[in-house]
Amino acid sequence: MSDLQVKNLSKSYMLDDKVLPVLKDINIHLKSGDFLTVLGPSGCGKSTLIRCICGMETPNSGEILIDGQPISGVGPERLMVFQDFNQLFSWKTVKENIIFPLKLNKISSNKQELNDTADEFLKIVNLQKFANAYPNQLSGGMRQRVAIARSLALKPKVLLMDEPFGALDAQTRAILQKELYQLWEQFKTTIIFITHNVQEAIILGNKIIVLGLQPAMIKMQKDNHIPYPRMPETAPFMSLWKTLYGQLETKRF
Amino acid sequence: MAEKEINDKRKSLATRLIFLVALFVAWEFLPQWTGSEKIIPTFSMAIEAFWVNLWKGDLFKHIVYSLQLIFTGILIGMLLAFILTALCMLSKRFNDVMDVIVSIMHPLPGIALLPVVMLLVGLGAKSIIIIIVHSILWPLIVNALAGFRAIPRIQLELGRNLGMRPFRLIWSVMIPNAFPYILSGLKIAWARSWRALVSAEMVFGASGLIGGLGWYIYKTRFFMDVSGMFAGLISVIIIGMIVDELVLKTLERKTVQKWGMSL
Repeated sequence: MSDLQVKNLSKSYMLDDKVLPVLKDINIHLKSGDFLTVLGPSGCGKSTLIRCICGMETPNSGEILIDGQPISGVGPERLMVFQDFNQLFSWKTVKENIIFPLKLNKISSNKQELNDTADEFLKIVNLQKFANAYPNQLSGGMRQRVAIARSLALKPKVLLMDEPFGALDAQTRAILQKELYQLWEQFKTTIIFITHNVQEAIILGNKIIVLGLQPAMIKMQKDNHIPYPRMPETAPFMSLWKTLYGQLETKRF
Repeated sequence: MAEKEINDKRKSLATRLIFLVALFVAWEFLPQWTGSEKIIPTFSMAIEAFWVNLWKGDLFKHIVYSLQLIFTGILIGMLLAFILTALCMLSKRFNDVMDVIVSIMHPLPGIALLPVVMLLVGLGAKSIIIIIVHSILWPLIVNALAGFRAIPRIQLELGRNLGMRPFRLIWSVMIPNAFPYILSGLKIAWARSWRALVSAEMVFGASGLIGGLGWYIYKTRFFMDVSGMFAGLISVIIIGMIVDELVLKTLERKTVQKWGMSL
């Protein structure tokens, strides 16, 4: 729950001796409790942006500040929820998957307290019944819920989500969007959520940015004031959808 | 568990048992019909020889001795494999050297190495243990390295993101992720260590003061004690089955199968 600033961030990769610029002069300013959705065509560098903020990639220039402090490396105050379902530890039960990072980060060492925290967060994502199941016994949607619960339990300053619902079917996706929105309302965590789905970006974000194609620059930045529940059939939703969609470039192959 | 699954399990178990019984019956009567009991003892003769030798003869002693050699060899092999694999993970250069060593040593049968080993350390327990270590070390390393290389990148990123330092990452993420490979390495190692032990003792009669099962089979053959030979074989089979079915398969069921990580 913190301020996040990205200042003049640029990043390029080397590809066969050629410099391939990916991100150019990205500036983002989020207030504590903002929910930012980042839209962009596939391959534009959305993931690179969020990985820079997470610390898994080092930008070529620019700064990333949390509460005014530059970030250093990867750390649990900037937690990532991935798209891949394989982001739980298969050899631990659902509950152990939540407890283990809490112990690791010395949030608590009291067994009862850890247990209670895990139960509380499992309840929040409606998985109490599966506390003692192993990840391979869960569906994809359930596994993503566990990953979200695990992240929230660690109370990160910023929650980074890299298309976490991208591999889910449409129905499950809609359900998880609603759940995530409710969790955000409850915890007011600062969230950055990457997606290529315009509708998802509007449903979730109170701020939306659109990235262009290589090198990705911010093409549009919008505040989203549409009241909840955000229904795609309503006029403000549709007009915002058209605006955003118009900004999305698609790559020609 | 669903009723169908239980039924399937019962059927599967029944099939196995029926096959075993049929095998024993055939073993009992074929030598009698063909009048070749002197060369191939009947099932009951072999079992009797096994039982009598186990308690009254020296078979038990040989079994214990064999197991001592095997477990010493496996322990040393696992320890060495652990150290060498760790060094491979830490240093790319060492890994390159190891690749060469593995490709030289892995296809080399332990038994072919025995003459050299005997020249170096003499006849006896030491040379057998060295052969056992040789026959399990390389498959253990190859499997462990394959396991570590197959760890999904996301698991490593996740571990670091959750705040793990390098040693914690190795212990809590990398080893569990590589465990299915490590376990299959252990299974291969177990089978290989038996072969190494028995064949080394039989071909060269190399052994310590007591001698293991290989030596026992060699000895009984020398005295044309056919039932005794079969008693030795039965011991090898029974111990192999106990460890494979009870220890290794149980371990597999309670770990990688339960976690859905089977290879």
